[in-house]
Amino acid sequence: MENQTLQVQLSEGLVVTIVGLLLVFLTLAILFLFFNYAMPVIRKNIDAKKHQKAVEVAPVKQKESDTTGEVNAVIAAAIHHYLEEAHDDENTILTIQKVKKAYSPWSSKIYTVHGGMLHR
Amino acid sequence: MKRIFIIFGSIATILVAWATATASVVSSHTIGSITNQAAATSSPGLSTMAIEGLSNFISMTGFANATVPNLIMIGVGLFFIFLAIKYDYEPLLLIPIGAGVIIGNIPFVAGNQIGIYEEGSVLSYLYFGVQKGIYPPLIFLGIGAMTDFSSLIANPKLMLLGAAAQVGVFLTFIGAIALGFDLKEAASIGIIGGADGPTAIFLSSKEAPHLLGAIAIAAYSYMALVPVIQPPIMRLMTTVEERKIKMKPPRTVTKTEKILFPIIGLIITTFISPSALPLLGMLFFGNLLKESGHTERLANTARTSMIDIVTILLGVTVGASTQASEFITLNSMKIFALGAVSFAIATFSGLAFAKFMNLFLKGDEKLNPLIGAAGVSAVPDSARVVQQEGLKSDASNHLLMHAMAPNVSGVIGSAVAAGILMSFLTYFSSL
Repeated sequence: MENQTLQVQLSEGLVVTIVGLLLVFLTLAILFLFFNYAMPVIRKNIDAKKHQKAVEVAPVKQKESDTTGEVNAVIAAAIHHYLEEAHDDENTILTIQKVKKAYSPWSSKIYTVHGGMLHR
Repeated sequence: MKRIFIIFGSIATILVAWATATASVVSSHTIGSITNQAAATSSPGLSTMAIEGLSNFISMTGFANATVPNLIMIGVGLFFIFLAIKYDYEPLLLIPIGAGVIIGNIPFVAGNQIGIYEEGSVLSYLYFGVQKGIYPPLIFLGIGAMTDFSSLIANPKLMLLGAAAQVGVFLTFIGAIALGFDLKEAASIGIIGGADGPTAIFLSSKEAPHLLGAIAIAAYSYMALVPVIQPPIMRLMTTVEERKIKMKPPRTVTKTEKILFPIIGLIITTFISPSALPLLGMLFFGNLLKESGHTERLANTARTSMIDIVTILLGVTVGASTQASEFITLNSMKIFALGAVSFAIATFSGLAFAKFMNLFLKGDEKLNPLIGAAGVSAVPDSARVVQQEGLKSDASNHLLMHAMAPNVSGVIGSAVAAGILMSFLTYFSSL
């Protein structure tokens, strides 16, 4: 009885193995075929469209642009001026510099002690 | 020093005073059986009460309840941690799992909602994500968001190597049936050969939850042992000349292709194997987040914080699920043996298929057969092993980029295989 079930299971397992393995190969093969053959076509289409657009757009732009060299110079100067004012290159190294006079009474305990004594 | 004595001394005095004061009003529910018996038979004084309370406490400690299997498992946990720290084998997985193994095997008295298998305990709630297969798809989301499929898109024929390595899964499946496991258990064991922890956990949580701990540990430890298991098989299967083959560098892949890949991949693979939807859906979704160029924030979270959080929870709870009473069984040993076989067959078949493909390829199209070994989906470890082996034969031959292609297609392949196994199992169980 037990042998029989084992045999049934083995035959089922064999079916799963063969069909399953084929299916795994099939899935990845479809992916492979798609990316190997369909993808270049899609890419070409997209590239062609982009190329067309570029061809269409480029001459129009040339005609419309009426900025002269002087305008460009002004823009460049303005940007330069703006960046100069923006203080973007401050020193990032922040350290505590030692002050010559090391002693400062602001947190000195001695005063609070005296104060406490005085108020008593 | 004197001050320390004073402080600890006073704390101790306070505690003793507090304990003696409260000992008389402790309800009988909170103290253990020994004290209960003592309380029933005699009316004890304070000192006997304290002693019996103490002995009850001792009876509940780990020292009193320790069994040999517990100690063995704690040793295993320590060994995992040692491997991770000393040899740097997948430390991100082995340290959480190792710590989890220790946590799960600290001996305790059952019934206080402590253990991972006790209903209502904190650990059991965290383990819920493993039991119901919640964590694996989340991990796949993160993997998708960190994986670059461009080497695969550039050279799509390498996808077939990812399929070839799944031979290991299916052959082990047969082997497990022959060793007396039923179909569902055998499927869960076979998937270890996919070398994909999340997939293995996903499948076994659905099909054979009682074997989950052993399968997860086997899958993750073999993944960690990729640098040990694979190189000998690689050297056995390839000649020196083959190992020296230089592959031509992959072409550059456009942004459009990168965006289209997850979308097309998702649709094709899940239409064929819908059972793998949680895994593949999340994998490709994560990759779309990465490649779309407009969801960098989401991709960044998915590949850093989110996958880290899930890995921590997954690692610790999978480790803790190896509670000795449930784990040290003959079946676990068989699973470990089968897992190793599965892994070896997967490596073997990947290499063999790469050599087979070479029969049809000419000139600079030829593959370096070593990359076939990366068809097992331990990303990126097996690709790294391929790179190292390639360098040993020819110090100027860098195979990493090429090996990543079968490596990531192995992830897809093992998820597809899991889905196919699941749908077959539902069919056979309905017979």
